[in-house]
Amino acid sequence: MPIRLAALLALLWLALAGGLSLAQADNVTVPYVQTGELNVPRLLGWRDESQGNIAQFSLENATIRTALVASDDPLAAAQMELQALRGRAAAAPLYSGRVNLADGSWQSMIFDLDDRTTASQMVRQVREKMVVISFIESVPDARIMLLTLPQADDSRADAQPEMALALEQLLGIASAGLSAGATLDLPGGEWLPIAGDGIQALGMVFGNDSYIALQQGAGDDLAGLVDAYNRTLLGFFITPDHSLYLALGLAATFVILCLLVFSLHWRRREIRKDLALLKQLQQEDEQ
Amino acid sequence: MNITAAIADMQQEAAAPRLLRALTALAALGFCATLVLALFVVGEDIQQGAVQRLFYIHMPSFFGAFVAFGATVLGGILVLAGRDAVWDRVALAGVEVGLAFSLINLVTGMVWARPIWNTWWTWDPRLTSAAVMCLIYAAYLMLRTGIEDPERKRRFMAVYGIFAFASVLLTLFIIRIVPDTIHPVIVGASPQNAQGGFEATSGVVLGLLPALLLWTTLMPITAIWHRVRLEQRLEALESLKARVIGD
Repeated sequence: MPIRLAALLALLWLALAGGLSLAQADNVTVPYVQTGELNVPRLLGWRDESQGNIAQFSLENATIRTALVASDDPLAAAQMELQALRGRAAAAPLYSGRVNLADGSWQSMIFDLDDRTTASQMVRQVREKMVVISFIESVPDARIMLLTLPQADDSRADAQPEMALALEQLLGIASAGLSAGATLDLPGGEWLPIAGDGIQALGMVFGNDSYIALQQGAGDDLAGLVDAYNRTLLGFFITPDHSLYLALGLAATFVILCLLVFSLHWRRREIRKDLALLKQLQQEDEQ
Repeated sequence: MNITAAIADMQQEAAAPRLLRALTALAALGFCATLVLALFVVGEDIQQGAVQRLFYIHMPSFFGAFVAFGATVLGGILVLAGRDAVWDRVALAGVEVGLAFSLINLVTGMVWARPIWNTWWTWDPRLTSAAVMCLIYAAYLMLRTGIEDPERKRRFMAVYGIFAFASVLLTLFIIRIVPDTIHPVIVGASPQNAQGGFEATSGVVLGLLPALLLWTTLMPITAIWHRVRLEQRLEALESLKARVIGD
């Protein structure tokens, strides 16, 4: 018997040790920065400055930051993030518009922070907080703005009308003088470029919305910046809080196991009671 | 032995064998240890959140039921081969334990499905076959109480228990046969997973391996053994009652 017991213990230990060694050998690189509830795609070629509950990637003149902010107001949340990034809050946004994406209702905002710095932000409510995705650029001699607009007609395959609208609203430029180029096939999707005198715009259709990037002035990598920002915007996700369902599943397991054990115990007790009754009957019979 | 002595003998209920007591303690400890692994050691699934941890109960409990129902098949074959009546008790115990484990499998699956599939239940081939399997074994318990003649009952239930195992195999393999299912396949090739291979990562294996070992060895063996001992006492009691009434 002790041998059988030892064999069982050895088997259990082997299973545990096997699992542990496999876990230690796990070298899979998770392609996400995980900051508690937030999971943000890693941007290759960007400096990873993520810490605590913030995912942040930077280049020399650009920063993309994703954070959960304790606020119930999109504008206040956006301002708090700018304060954290720049040390001072911004004035009123240059643009603010609501857009319904697949994962919820977002507020798209653009701020001019100073002569050479522009911030584009997307803000959405998550439970009691706001998730803020910020793109801050300080490219010399250029202003870059990223925004998302709902498509007026979701049967269209290109974002030209929304690009024209954004150019007119934000830069006061008519798109008539700009010419469309060949489609750019970036990792995050296909973008349509239009360009003119000192103006460059990119537009992509995803779902029922148009993702727009505008650049005024000289800059050499609008496509790279916009692709990184959109990969963050479309690739990030929040780990859902399903702990109540876990508790429910565990409770159900305990209840069923307890019922099994209790039924054995209850039937054993009934046997004892029956035996006592039989004994009593037998004694009465003998008397 | 006269009836009074037989009653006194039965009242002196023999303590469980030392090995059974050790197995019971190990099963309880093992259950707690695998829960600790599943809840606190294994990493959280970033897409499904905490509810994915039910996997470490959901899948092992099915294989625990598989082992228990397997004991029913073994018991049935040995009953039909004319072996000792203890194998009929093993077959019955296998059904009771297997049914409890199957219910755990079903319920944890339903709770897991609610936030992930957005429904408690869907008539998916795997879910349907698992539910039918539970009903078939519940029917085993009901039928058993309906047959009076002990020898006839033993032989009939042995045959039933052997054939009922087809529902277990069907539940196990249906996701590999029927492509129209949303239930994931973890191990090996399937219509949903054409490339095959073990899809669980090593982090998952850390929680799964000990749980599988526990649910397929210690837990069913211990529970079946306790149930067999109980059935033995129940049969002895019935026989005593018959003698008392006969006198």
